[in-house]
Amino acid sequence: MTHRDGRTSIPTARLKVTTRIPFLTLLLVAGLAGCATPPPRQAVAPETSIRLSATLISATDITLEWQGGEPDAAGHIVEFATEPHGRYTILQFLPPHQTTFTHPDLMPETSFHYRVRPFYGPASRPIEITLPEGPMGSATKDDHAWAAPRSIPGGPIAKHAIRMASADAVPTGLKAAVMHANGVRFRWTDHAADEEGYLLEDRPEGSADFGVIAVLGPNINSFGLITLPNEKKASFRVRAFYYGKPSNLAGQTTGTIPPGG
Amino acid sequence: MRSPNQARLRAGVLVAGPLLVVLAALPAAADPVESGPWTSYSPSFNVQERGCGDVSDLTFKLTCSDDDGDQRAERRYVTYTSGIRQFEGYFKIISLGGTRVSLKQTFKDQSGAYFMLAVERGGRLYAVNGGTTIATGATIGTEVRVNTVHEVGRTHRTYINGSLKHTVSSDSGGFYDKLGAYRTSSGKGPATVEWSDIRFWRK
Repeated sequence: MTHRDGRTSIPTARLKVTTRIPFLTLLLVAGLAGCATPPPRQAVAPETSIRLSATLISATDITLEWQGGEPDAAGHIVEFATEPHGRYTILQFLPPHQTTFTHPDLMPETSFHYRVRPFYGPASRPIEITLPEGPMGSATKDDHAWAAPRSIPGGPIAKHAIRMASADAVPTGLKAAVMHANGVRFRWTDHAADEEGYLLEDRPEGSADFGVIAVLGPNINSFGLITLPNEKKASFRVRAFYYGKPSNLAGQTTGTIPPGG
Repeated sequence: MRSPNQARLRAGVLVAGPLLVVLAALPAAADPVESGPWTSYSPSFNVQERGCGDVSDLTFKLTCSDDDGDQRAERRYVTYTSGIRQFEGYFKIISLGGTRVSLKQTFKDQSGAYFMLAVERGGRLYAVNGGTTIATGATIGTEVRVNTVHEVGRTHRTYINGSLKHTVSSDSGGFYDKLGAYRTSSGKGPATVEWSDIRFWRK
């Protein structure tokens, strides 16, 4: 999965872990406070101008395309349901410049309904992490209690509205502690007063783009990630976010699968 | 494909006494997937709590990190023997301190786990029996929709968020669904999983 966020222009703070000792916990200090990604400029969530269409490109593949959208959006989510007013499920978080999405290998003879929603909010300065080598099973005695999302008390008294594009609402002080060869605990300072939650985003080495890997609740400022094999070396950041208004609904009904297909 | 611990799995199920029997499924206001006509039904179930397993309605917890023994918090639905059965539900991994925790299983009577959907790596990877990965890069904290269609004697299909991820042929016989949190032979807790909007149809 590749993503791109064109608003990230500040150079990445480079932090490298060189240890190969399993289970060794190292504390990595992130970039400087106040050097965060510029926040979006809009004051409130605008009325959506996204126009979504859905095309059945094969019996069981549907491609979505949308136009319009908000230039200050941090990205979009694509959601689906099998009833127009049913329960919508997030399929993917996408970067702001992406305007197509293909939903593949679908349930046959089923009505699919889609909508696209923007999300907004400021991201912290990214940090770069290199994890030591080691298999997943090397941490068998670790119950990973450190990984649970939580709010660590002692944050700033004054918080600021991300919906008012306050530069003071940007999350700061992102730090990473390598808990083992495949686990990292992140902590940061929450300055946002009105966020719907926090997103943890990463950009694995070799990828030009950040992507959302975890959706956390509001006021969370500590979370542990179990990494995937392609994340041994990656950049991470957190974003205080809120959702905008959804697009129009677009739907298609899938066809039958040919015998043997 | 069957895991090495299936004999133990089966034994655990056979000795598991029902703690609670209530009707399971909600009225089917939604449309099932694939072609119909489908008839909604509400199979009964019992709750199985073994080891450090804890069940509270549709929240299933393994509260320990033991990597051995029978650790389970599950619903066991009644056996079916014929027709085409559809299951639908949404799960969310609230926390996963362990790994290789089964979320849903289809059991074949007297044979063991015929289909198993498990979660690994902090909720970022889904796998089926034998460790085959069927989805990776999952976004932590979001709900996942699961539909299974089981044609007894023919095939069992699994859809994750609407996309076909796994197909396996099916023998005839008696089968039943289980869902919750269950420590697989190579897995361990702790884990907290929430299921919601569980529905069943048949035709």
